[in-house]
Amino acid sequence: MVRFENVGMRYGAGPEVLRDVTFVLEAGSFTFLTGPSGAGKTTLLKLMYLSEPPTRGLINLFGCDLATAKRAEFPSLRRRIGVVFQDFRLLDHLTAFDNVALPLRLAGRRPEEYEKDVDELLGWVGLGDKLLARPPTLSGGEQQRVAIARAVVGRPDLLIADEPTGNVDAEIGQRLLRLFGELNRLGTTVLIATHDRALIERARAREMRLIDGRLVELRTARA
Amino acid sequence: MNARTLRGRIAPREAGAAPLDVVIAIMAFLAALALGASLIADRAALGWREGLSSRLTVQIIPPEHGASAKLLDDETMAAAGILKNTDGIVSVRPLSEKDTEALVEPWIGSGAAIADLPLPRLIDATILPGAKIDLGTLSQRLKLAAPDSLLDDHTRWIGRLKGLADRIIWSAYFVLALIAVATAATVAFATRAGLEAHHDIVALLHQMGAHAGFIARAFEWHYFISALLAATVGAVFAGILFSMAGGLELAGIEAVPFLPPLSLHVAELAWLAAIPAGAALIAWATARLSVLTAVSRIY
Repeated sequence: MVRFENVGMRYGAGPEVLRDVTFVLEAGSFTFLTGPSGAGKTTLLKLMYLSEPPTRGLINLFGCDLATAKRAEFPSLRRRIGVVFQDFRLLDHLTAFDNVALPLRLAGRRPEEYEKDVDELLGWVGLGDKLLARPPTLSGGEQQRVAIARAVVGRPDLLIADEPTGNVDAEIGQRLLRLFGELNRLGTTVLIATHDRALIERARAREMRLIDGRLVELRTARA
Repeated sequence: MNARTLRGRIAPREAGAAPLDVVIAIMAFLAALALGASLIADRAALGWREGLSSRLTVQIIPPEHGASAKLLDDETMAAAGILKNTDGIVSVRPLSEKDTEALVEPWIGSGAAIADLPLPRLIDATILPGAKIDLGTLSQRLKLAAPDSLLDDHTRWIGRLKGLADRIIWSAYFVLALIAVATAATVAFATRAGLEAHHDIVALLHQMGAHAGFIARAFEWHYFISALLAATVGAVFAGILFSMAGGLELAGIEAVPFLPPLSLHVAELAWLAAIPAGAALIAWATARLSVLTAVSRIY
């Protein structure tokens, strides 16, 4: 599903923020990415969701070698990835409903086809009464849940989440973990970057740790 | 679920775009004024040329030693006869002494001063449009019948008038071109400025796997409609101004004496629609190009 080989990354002429990162995410796997702030977690995720090209090394996504792939292939690769951004990146002028429905609109689906699904999903994340609210009127935790709903609504092949429970209480955090688990059982490969030890312990999933730009395998799944 | 929320615009309405719309409206107003002025100048110049090129004037000039009124009358009648028998001339009208005096009255005045002047007798002839008349032969025939006659086909006057009209028209077109370029630049600038503010939306849509064409479509129609509406307001104001000028002229109030009417015909007013159409197309193309360029710069 995802393979990194000796990947390095630096911004401009700055120091390398990722060094010789090598790992594989098997299809249907559930993985946590941990590490101190500034270790390069967000950069690694950016490389994986095709926001930045690596400075060196090889990345293979869904069997496609990004170094040799044509740019025209990237949109279809990106549509197979659901991303929960750390800063949410919601569109303030759209309602919570329309924000969540955005990936489905991009996929060319008609409103009447997805209306029920989006309603249900927003209900699942506890925002059933805020369908028509716009992001600026929502709390940080509510915005985060809209961002999560948007990332999972299209049942992506790969879900990448950057600190998805950073702004929610323990109860909602558990609920979101169940959502990710459910999605994973349906076949989605999940990678979550987090500092939340409780979340990691509950999930008992594989954990990769980044320290100063280098990747360390701490625990394999069900260890 | 309110159905309207299912189709929320991906490109947001511009909360702060009103000043840009006002600028587009003002530029469209100026462009419409320049276009209207060009059309008026064009029409006036054409009218002058057509009016003069279809006329001939024959003067029977009183000789320096003086001549009797009867001799001048005879020569006038003879010259009129020649003109009437010339192919291509459709009407011949000898001007009476009163008519001639009326012509010079605005410059010289009436009364005793005119009576002492050796005013020529004038014959006004109208040529069939497109008729080719050998003016050299006609002049010789006139000289034989009326030795004091002088044929004037207005060539010199028409030439000078044509030069003046051409200069007016080209000046108007030059001003129109300048304003059109300024309007186009303003629309393009306004569109790009609006898009700059939405770079994050473009980047997010790109990140979510939207094709560049989809993202461009989300924005281009928004800017197309905005520019169309703003420029329509400007063009309509200019149209109202021209119509008011026409109304004043109909009421007998000349805006500028001796100059052509400042009103536009209905068909000419329709040309003003080209201004909003052009502004909208420029906004559409700029938005599309800007989005495609922005997307191509993102990984």
